[in-house]
Amino acid sequence: MTHHRLFVQDLAAGYGDRNVFAGLDLDVLPAKITAIVGANACGKSTLLRAMSRLLPPRQGQVLLDGKSIHTMPPRKLAQTLGLLPQSPIAPEGITVSDLVGRGRHPHQGVFSRWTRQDDEAVAAALQATNTTDLAERPVDELSGGQRQRIWIAMALAQQTDILLLDEPTTFLDIAHQVEVLDLLVDLNQTRGTTIIMVLHDLNLAARYADHLVAMADGRLHARGTPGDVLTVETVRDVFGLESSIVADPLSGRPLMLPIGRHRIKREEVA
Amino acid sequence: MTALAFTADHVAHGRRQRRNTCRRVIGCAVVALAAAFALTLTLGQSFTPPQVVLDVLLGKDVPGASFTIGQLRLPRAVLAILAGLSFGLSGAAFQIMLRNPLASPDIIGISFGASAAAVFAIVFLSASGAVVSLLAVTGGLAVAVAIYGLSSRNGVAGTRFILVGIGVAAMLESFISYTLSQAPSWNLQEAMRWLTGSVNGAQLQQALPLSAALVGFGGLLLSQARNLEALRLGDDMAAGLGVNVARTRLLVIMGAVGVLAVATAVTGPIAFVAFLSGPIAARLVGSEGSLLMPSALVGAILVLGGDYVGQFLLPTRYPVGVVTGALGAPYLIYLIVRVNRTGRSL
Repeated sequence: MTHHRLFVQDLAAGYGDRNVFAGLDLDVLPAKITAIVGANACGKSTLLRAMSRLLPPRQGQVLLDGKSIHTMPPRKLAQTLGLLPQSPIAPEGITVSDLVGRGRHPHQGVFSRWTRQDDEAVAAALQATNTTDLAERPVDELSGGQRQRIWIAMALAQQTDILLLDEPTTFLDIAHQVEVLDLLVDLNQTRGTTIIMVLHDLNLAARYADHLVAMADGRLHARGTPGDVLTVETVRDVFGLESSIVADPLSGRPLMLPIGRHRIKREEVA
Repeated sequence: MTALAFTADHVAHGRRQRRNTCRRVIGCAVVALAAAFALTLTLGQSFTPPQVVLDVLLGKDVPGASFTIGQLRLPRAVLAILAGLSFGLSGAAFQIMLRNPLASPDIIGISFGASAAAVFAIVFLSASGAVVSLLAVTGGLAVAVAIYGLSSRNGVAGTRFILVGIGVAAMLESFISYTLSQAPSWNLQEAMRWLTGSVNGAQLQQALPLSAALVGFGGLLLSQARNLEALRLGDDMAAGLGVNVARTRLLVIMGAVGVLAVATAVTGPIAFVAFLSGPIAARLVGSEGSLLMPSALVGAILVLGGDYVGQFLLPTRYPVGVVTGALGAPYLIYLIVRVNRTGRSL
């Protein structure tokens, strides 16, 4: 199976008269999980918005298989590139399977009927996210963790090769954060879906991503494997935080321990 | 049978069930509307036997009944239905697009924009007929564009749009009152029309522009039904699903303002029909399928029923807008209280 390639070329984007970033290049590794990390307001969500065409570029372009996504028909793009924004809205009273079914939108025409293929895509998405039992329940009644799984199921029903997620773990407790990230790895491993997500938690990003992109002040400060990127220097430059990096005994990936001003045994820091 | 096929059957079954519910609701609404139509034709100040009504409808000349039905009841009922369909459709389209039940065109001043243009044309330009309709559409669109412009800063935020709209509505209402006071001779009934809406003195030829607007602008709205449904998930999500959000917005505003303004030019801004239809339809239909058709039918039932109540079931005769206004006001209060608490959308 060949994978679609997403490539950011000399991109500038922003709001009002201010460019959040400019001259940014990024080659997204196909069939891998990429996490974009950085301090608040460093431009990571803006980058994701520009990559998913929510924000028009001021300069440069985003290329999908060599073609600019900004000139592609939106429906065509939505068949290859899926997006889960930060706060999607569930219409009042909608049932889970109806909401997941909305993911089929780019595959249906104005007059085309709902097909067996659509039902199977919804069923597969429910199974993959372990939400089959919830299919007939109203989304309003679900917990935050269940709801996030439903939104991911909807993105799966869209059956895109590339999936962009803007902080998919915000507002979730730690158990549900891990559950959502495990689900994304499942998806990546079974379907080969290319995943690009903005994550807040540096340690979870290092644990789950194949590729880390650290942004600071609208620049790509560092990129590479978690081992390459998550260093004392990067954390200092990107977050302005002194830290100590140890090997996570469970995964062997780097684990960042922040050094604050309190509760630290002095000899550890030296 | 594999697990996937089993789940797919389960999904398909649930979806079909909900779609059938939706169809049943639409069917019931059509039957209710037809029944109300039949009632208004047969039973007014006096009772006309159904056979006679049918004869008149088929073009026979029946002394007395031909006038009562052909000139009074039929135009009134037809106009009520067409206006109701227009208001219901337009209200639901705005509410869905902006994801807020308060975003109805009769709350945010678009109806008053059309009404103000119509009154202005009649009083100061002595216009009538198609010119009034045309100016009403222009007025409605101008107000929509003005609110849009005033409330857009880094994209249009729903709440700001609504607050600006409420302010504009208040201004336009006073403009209508002023214009009415400048008119040489208005009777109270006519003045009421432009402030709360009425189908008094309806004439059958007025149905023509309304039907044309429903076919043209209403068709435009229905062509955007699927995209509107996607917009309910949020603008970003809709864009992610391949919807051209800006284009959909533009087409929906044009379609919704079009049907609304043409209807307003004939009946005046019938209070709260646009505002009430969508939420009532949403309660009845549930989440499967588009809300546009059910809302249009609910609107028609509201106007036809409201007019009947206003004419015959109250001690004094009231124009339909007074009745629907009395229905809508408590709901508006409820909604403001509730929306503030939960922040949920339609």
